[in-house]
Amino acid sequence: MIRKLIHNIGLIAVVLTALAFPTALRADEAEAVDAKGIIFEHLGDHYGWEVPFMHETYVPLPVIVRDAEGSWHCFSSRRLEHGASYDGFHIAHGGDNNGKVVGTDATGAEYRPLDLSITKNVAALIIAALLVAWAATSVLRWYRRNPMKAPRGVRGSMEVIVEMIYFDVIRSNLGSQAKRFAPYLLTVFFLIFFMNLLGLIVIFPGGANLTGNLAVTLTLALCTFVLTNVTKSKHYWKEIFWPDVPIWLKCPIPIMQAIEVFGVFTKPAALTVRLFANMMGGHMIVIVLTLLIFIFGAFGAAVTGLTTVFSVAFSLFMVTLDLLVSFIQAFVFTMLSTLFISMAHPDESHEHHAAAEAA
Amino acid sequence: MELFKPEIGLVFWMFVVVVILVMLLGKYAWPGIIKGLEERADLIDKGVEYAQQAKENLDNAQAEAQKLLDQAKREQTEILREADRLKAQMIEEARGAAAAEAKKVTEQAQLAIDQARKQAELQFRDEVSAFALSIAEKVMRANLSTDDAQARLVDKLIDEVEHKN
Repeated sequence: MIRKLIHNIGLIAVVLTALAFPTALRADEAEAVDAKGIIFEHLGDHYGWEVPFMHETYVPLPVIVRDAEGSWHCFSSRRLEHGASYDGFHIAHGGDNNGKVVGTDATGAEYRPLDLSITKNVAALIIAALLVAWAATSVLRWYRRNPMKAPRGVRGSMEVIVEMIYFDVIRSNLGSQAKRFAPYLLTVFFLIFFMNLLGLIVIFPGGANLTGNLAVTLTLALCTFVLTNVTKSKHYWKEIFWPDVPIWLKCPIPIMQAIEVFGVFTKPAALTVRLFANMMGGHMIVIVLTLLIFIFGAFGAAVTGLTTVFSVAFSLFMVTLDLLVSFIQAFVFTMLSTLFISMAHPDESHEHHAAAEAA
Repeated sequence: MELFKPEIGLVFWMFVVVVILVMLLGKYAWPGIIKGLEERADLIDKGVEYAQQAKENLDNAQAEAQKLLDQAKREQTEILREADRLKAQMIEEARGAAAAEAKKVTEQAQLAIDQARKQAELQFRDEVSAFALSIAEKVMRANLSTDDAQARLVDKLIDEVEHKN
């Protein structure tokens, strides 16, 4: 088995070395590879979805924008391809709005319209959501058809994860409140998990760097933030504005209050950045490793071949690691959300228990 | 840098998708799955409990059966002993009864013998007296001519009597 694997890797290395030759020649001509541009192109968003192995062909996606006058425009992204202009909109090159749809107003100045386009990321997001819905309902359908029987295969793994998240994370932390917050937490877990995994697939249904996008993680963190802070719990607000500490820490100068209020906002920030940085970092490393081949292409065939072997080996390792990270980060996000919510919504039974202990 | 500037469009769609997904799955999928899991866990718990109960019952049944068996054995020996005792008693009784009966029969036989003997004696006496009388009559009748002849006569009579007896 291992020998076969080594053999395969060797084979891939030879093929890639062979493929690197023309690239090396081209790299000589084009002086240097624009590594930064390629990295950000891969990590960023697009108005179309690149067709696998055809670098210049895109599957068109709808562009939805509101112009300066407040009227909505909806058209195919094909109309903006190759620098074309449509309805007063075009894709900017360079500047602050690089790669985004911009409009030209009456005075001829560029402006950024309200852009609700179904971009590649949004499309991938919808695909991930549909997959989550399909996976969840398939378990449900199994129950309908075979009550009291354990599902097998993908459904079984779905069920195992639901069980792990619900019983070990949500219910053990939230207690009697578990049923109230379980829908959000479970949905968020599976959405992140599926988005992470889809991000690792290079071609069509995947390939979008969703969870490595600040907008996505920020929205998720904001949802948790709202659920945490929209609470009627007296305990939670007292803990922030009148914590149980020596009086000089909170009375003349509100030190503790400042720290606590700061803490309210650092929690979602930590959630946002943790998921974003982990996923984006993983993607970036794989891209950089692959780019190394092309960067070293300038140094001749031997160097390129060696780099190829190392790059492929490390990329393989990184993607395998990302598989693990995909699960861990989804789990960590869910677990921290659960913890934040449980801190704000103390379980009544637990509270009584604590009170009894204190007395 | 584009990567660190959240796009309003993606935020909007992300929010929409999350809200719709949470509402849909929260209403239809997750409660059903959790209910299914809990129901199955309960079923398994009950099954284990039932199995334990059944095993306990089985163990108890075995003990019960052993107890019954022991009791039956004890009763059996008891009955056998009783039967033995009864048998001995019956033999004893039978023996006693037989002895009594035998004694009675002997006594009755004795009585009958005595009676018969008495009767015989009576008869004998009657006969003897009748003979004596007849002898005497005959002697009286024959003239007592010679002593010799008289003695022969007496002898003859006595022989007759002996013959008769």
